[in-house]
Amino acid sequence: MGELLKKNRTRLITLAVLAFMFVTAVQGMETKDWVITVLRGLSVGAITFLVASGFSLILGLMNILNLAHGEMFMIGAYVGWTVYVRPDTFVDVIAPLAFLAVGLILMPLWRVLLGRLNVSARVAQVWPWVGLVVALLILAATFVKFPIAIWDAEVYAESPTTYALGMSQGLATVPEAAVFEGISPFVAIVGTLLGSIVLAVSLVGLSQREQTAVSGTYINKGPIIGAALVLLVGLAAFWGNNALTEYLYNMNTTGRFFLSMLVAVLGGGVLGMLIETTLVRPLYERHTYQILLTLGLSFIGIEVVRAIWGRPEFTMPKPDLFAAGGGDCPATSIGGWLANNCSTILLFDGRVRTYNEIFIIFVGVVVLVAIWLLLQQTRIGMIIRAGVQDSEMVEALGINVQRVFTFVFSLGVGLAALGGVLAAPSIGLSPAMGTRLLLLALIALAIGGLTSFPGAAAGAVLVGLMQQFIIKYGQIGINIPFMAEPFKPSPPLVPASTVLLMVIILLVLPNGLFGRSE
Amino acid sequence: MGNLLEIRDIHTFIGQFHILQGVTVEVPEGSIVALLGRNGAGKTTTLKSVLGLTPPRRGQVILDGQAIHGRRSFDIAAMGIGFVPEHRAIFRDLSVAENLKIAERKKGDFERKEEMIFGLFPDLKRLIKLPGTNLSGGQQQMLAVARALVPDNKLLLIDEPSEGLAPVIIEQMMVAIKKLSAESTVLLVEQNFIVASKLAERYVIIEEGKSVKQGLMADLVNDKETIHRYLGAA
Repeated sequence: MGELLKKNRTRLITLAVLAFMFVTAVQGMETKDWVITVLRGLSVGAITFLVASGFSLILGLMNILNLAHGEMFMIGAYVGWTVYVRPDTFVDVIAPLAFLAVGLILMPLWRVLLGRLNVSARVAQVWPWVGLVVALLILAATFVKFPIAIWDAEVYAESPTTYALGMSQGLATVPEAAVFEGISPFVAIVGTLLGSIVLAVSLVGLSQREQTAVSGTYINKGPIIGAALVLLVGLAAFWGNNALTEYLYNMNTTGRFFLSMLVAVLGGGVLGMLIETTLVRPLYERHTYQILLTLGLSFIGIEVVRAIWGRPEFTMPKPDLFAAGGGDCPATSIGGWLANNCSTILLFDGRVRTYNEIFIIFVGVVVLVAIWLLLQQTRIGMIIRAGVQDSEMVEALGINVQRVFTFVFSLGVGLAALGGVLAAPSIGLSPAMGTRLLLLALIALAIGGLTSFPGAAAGAVLVGLMQQFIIKYGQIGINIPFMAEPFKPSPPLVPASTVLLMVIILLVLPNGLFGRSE
Repeated sequence: MGNLLEIRDIHTFIGQFHILQGVTVEVPEGSIVALLGRNGAGKTTTLKSVLGLTPPRRGQVILDGQAIHGRRSFDIAAMGIGFVPEHRAIFRDLSVAENLKIAERKKGDFERKEEMIFGLFPDLKRLIKLPGTNLSGGQQQMLAVARALVPDNKLLLIDEPSEGLAPVIIEQMMVAIKKLSAESTVLLVEQNFIVASKLAERYVIIEEGKSVKQGLMADLVNDKETIHRYLGAA
């Protein structure tokens, strides 16, 4: 115990000083202000943590700086918004995507089947490309013809801004359903399935061109069952389109909000899996290329979002559970809040917003505990922790590290997407929201220690607290001795203060609070 | 007895460097074979080439009659190869128990081998809850060997087991390796000729990326000229 104290002396002193600083801040302001400021700091910290933890897991295990991580946060927010505000669009998209996925999920099957065929080397060089072109032609004729009811970002009356406003005022109407035009639904479905299969087979052919040894010669049941399930989901979404749309529009907004969180996490996970297996995997050993890749992806992400949802910022209405005012609000207890769906709750006589300052922190803590349990209590967590130190040795033990990489990448992107949809009702949506948040997350990681999980949590909380206290002091001023007027930090000092905190901590602890020297 | 492992004329590149330029090694089932040679001769790369960590560009690696070159490392290891790398490479943040658990290939591997492993290295039992980073060099080496024993391995690749250890620990290590060779075959890299000569039945000398001489250890011990020429030691 004594040795442990000695080893961590600097770290403990730093933490004590920081805690002392934030606690003594209570002297300069009213208690209720202090409580609210701390809660706001924790709330910003929770969002930052969702981005920072995934980023640091990916960096630690795979040595990849995912500069597109902020955009994953942003895309999560936009996807969640769509499910929440325009469930009809969401339902329209399910069927075509499910049909497209069927062939790709069956990839392991194609791999085995192709491995059994004996194709001459010259033909093997050519046919995948031909197949790819054929697949794209088929998909262009069928997949893109699926009718999708969508907004028009260019026309104000039909823009996301208007739909969001309408919904927050309780005026949401079900837009007209889109219908198939110029193609029969049957042809569209069969064509998409066929195109997806040709696409997947060609991709497998492309990847097998240079491989000599064939790995995996038996057919696994997993992909077949998965493909069958996805096919069923697609068919159900196709036939039940109208019923499902109606159901979602009539659902209460709290339920729909939880659904949109779920869709954002799963969607983010799938997106992460796709990025990892197709783009990142060929570049494991080439770090410069990885940075260029992820930087490029972040630009692409921003432009795609601008093209689909438009440039202007818009809001995401808060779900009912956090929206009511008047009457018995602000609530005085958790029970009162849940009974009346109050948007605020009284704490030390201050009004605390139930969504921004309570729900976000709650989700952050749940995720923190869940990931901690995953890392400490499960076999895959053990493999991740080992892989962070030496992934080659993990592989030499007979463990497929690549699969763990894919899992972690997809988990990280899923967490960022969750952060996005969680933050959207509080900070709104804009194409630049991801870049801003990634910067904050990077500062948090530098403070906490780049690849340390507790470090990501501590760093995120510190950054959030620092930012919110400086904002608060900007309003009430700090009394500084020998100065006639209280000092009011101006808004540009808010981001500067977090950087300053980072600089000071790095001067004392060069590897961050919980980082380890390499 | 047949050969468990045959390395046939492999060529391995690291980056653009042609590290192995034709290494051939035969490891008879149940024996201990030592790779000898100077620093940088390519002994470690030979072990890594077997596992596919540095995949050979030419040549063949045959395990139990099956070609394994070109497969992915985890696939090769899962066929029954345990690896004890240079500098041990134990996982510092994992406890001793976790370091052993992670090597399981089937559920319960560790529980089945527990007695045998703690029989060889009684020290580990006492340290079971400590994180790897708190172990001494000798303890880390024991853990690294123990880790390779958790799953059922036909072949153990052991790199420099005596490096940087105190004589007492080396002695203990040698006893352990001798004991475990009763159950599996061992391909050993060892700089310390005295240790190697006591452990191994056969030797292969590697010089500048080529296997130049192999035979029975008993013959090499008396062949002062070869020892002097290739190993530089008396």
